[in-house]
Amino acid sequence: MKAAVALAEILARPDVWCADRLASAAIPALASGFARLDAELPGGGWPRGALTEILADGTGLGECSLLLPVLGRMREEGRWSLLVAPPYSLNGTAWAARGIDLARLAVVSPSRPRDALWAAEHALASGALGALLCWTTSIDAAQVRRLQVAAAGSDTLAFLFRPLRARSESSAAALRLLLTAGAHATLAVDLLKRRGPPCTRTLHLEVPRPLQWRANHESCQIHAADAALAGPASAISRARSQRPLAFA
Amino acid sequence: MPSPSAVVEQGRIVLADAAAGQAGVADGIGVAAARMLAPAITLIARNLPRESAALHILACWAGGLTPKISLTPDTLLLEIGSCLRLFGGVGKIVSTARAGIAAQGFALALAVAPTPRGAQWLAQSGSSAICLDADSMRRQLETLPLAVLPDKAASTLARFGARTLADVRRLPSAALGRRIGAASLQVLAQAFGELADPRAEFIFPEQFSLSLPLPAAVETAAALLFAARRLTSALSGWLIVRQAGVREMTLCLQHRREETRLVLQFAELTAAGERFERVLRERLENLPLRAPVEAIRLEASRVDALAGRSRALFNDAAGEQEAIAALLERLCARLGEKQIYRLAVHDDHRPEYATQCIPLFAKAVPSEARALPRPLWLLAKPQSLAESAGRPQRRGPLRLLAGPERIEAGWWDGGEMRGEMSAEKGGEAVGDIRRDYFIALSNDACWLWIYRECREPGGWYLHGFFS
Repeated sequence: MKAAVALAEILARPDVWCADRLASAAIPALASGFARLDAELPGGGWPRGALTEILADGTGLGECSLLLPVLGRMREEGRWSLLVAPPYSLNGTAWAARGIDLARLAVVSPSRPRDALWAAEHALASGALGALLCWTTSIDAAQVRRLQVAAAGSDTLAFLFRPLRARSESSAAALRLLLTAGAHATLAVDLLKRRGPPCTRTLHLEVPRPLQWRANHESCQIHAADAALAGPASAISRARSQRPLAFA
Repeated sequence: MPSPSAVVEQGRIVLADAAAGQAGVADGIGVAAARMLAPAITLIARNLPRESAALHILACWAGGLTPKISLTPDTLLLEIGSCLRLFGGVGKIVSTARAGIAAQGFALALAVAPTPRGAQWLAQSGSSAICLDADSMRRQLETLPLAVLPDKAASTLARFGARTLADVRRLPSAALGRRIGAASLQVLAQAFGELADPRAEFIFPEQFSLSLPLPAAVETAAALLFAARRLTSALSGWLIVRQAGVREMTLCLQHRREETRLVLQFAELTAAGERFERVLRERLENLPLRAPVEAIRLEASRVDALAGRSRALFNDAAGEQEAIAALLERLCARLGEKQIYRLAVHDDHRPEYATQCIPLFAKAVPSEARALPRPLWLLAKPQSLAESAGRPQRRGPLRLLAGPERIEAGWWDGGEMRGEMSAEKGGEAVGDIRRDYFIALSNDACWLWIYRECREPGGWYLHGFFS
């Protein structure tokens, strides 16, 4: 008869996970570029070989800026990124200016939604990509599971953008984030699901914005540019006489 | 092909399949006898042009095994002595050949011998012997029946009472020469390696364009894959001999009156048959056919010399490169060039012209990034915004945080940049714009890029998102 195995030994096994600890990732995670977020993510960054779901309504919250640091890392690694069914046309100048390697960025904009899922699943299963971003408005739990299974065999960063209403649906994704607007132009991130104890607090991340956020942006409703609207002719002359705005 | 079946030439069976053979249909018997033995038999007239076309395709394919190939009217001879080391022994090369031929749907009679005629005779008599030295070949050849010799010589010898080549070899050669003629004697000596047997080499075509007539009209594209495999493996062999790769090829599906051209593109120069097949499968699976296909033709349109590549010891980067190329090819084949693309930055001050979608496999000119605040997303067509009390509205009034930034001019562009017809609009060029751009924040905290149209009729428009 076999000797009883000590509990500590079982707990030390890499495939056993205690629910009160953050899981450690089998493939090292990639730092997100936001220290507050990394502290809460299992493995200290975006997981590779697992599906991350990002729930947000409305474009322009800063949802892409959240991922740009890690997409920029793909340039150093010399790996390809694939964008599947993006909601709008990509402005290449802006993506390039934010450090994305356009030579290794491919965009799939299929006419049928099922082609998008086919492309995403196939791309994940091939394991050849560095990162995959997929936008979808209607996807069912079984399809999410298929994407998660496809991602699990690779070391690809996989992000799936879904609308907020998917919040109440169950999902096979390893990590689920909910994005809303925070105060002072921050991006508020709630971790709906992670491999670890539930995260109850909301993280406020300072994602890059097109211009430096100033306190008076909040308080004064009428900005200089607003005031300039009084007369179209004066608007231009006043704007030209102003110092150029400091863009961050 | 229905079974049992047999090939007929001049009223006699020349080749019967396995089912017909079991019913007793042997080579050489008459058509009437065959019909009596197997009433359901399908008889097919021998088609010599198609046979030689098939051999021609196979000769191209065999370029993947050896560069020295010669064709006889009914046999393909490959010189493999110089390639044994490359493949790692005769067993490997024979099994590669068998697998390759089987994948193309051909039946194979194969033999290996030190002399070309010896190998030819052994293969024709179906012995599938593999002889590496002259002694074993001699033993094998001596068991062969007289049928391998020229017809006249064979009938003369049969009258002597000879049954096999061993009987013939026992006869004194001077007398034998008088009876069967010097030519037949020479053939015999060549087979046994006593006389040199030079063969004309098969010349690989300069341009690759092979057609394959289909035995019956095909109605579904998926069924074409099997037939196309013969052509893609031939292309692969042809490329290997030339040490070249292909970047683009065209498969023409020939209908009764018209033809469909499928252009297949590859991420890099390649000569790998399995890659051709994978891309072809994606294309064919979703292809609606306009009419039944009667023949197919494969053309290699962009062929270039393949640069020699040294394999890395740890095959990381190269393997990854290959995996990404295979993935992009597959996506491109399935979705088409319109639905998968890359981006290139174009030097233009107008935001909608500064980004161009380029084909996946096109070469992009790197361009320096500008530090201007530009949104990640652009609307393909600017969306008109309501205006209330002089302020643009989108789910409530918008706060303008920065601006205006004037972007104007483009009078030289009558729409050529977007490939539109040069439709003059009120005397102004389509590409001519005059706009004041603002960075705006909406009530639901979305960062927008909006502009006020400076030309008539004015108004506010949403053009992008700082996402």
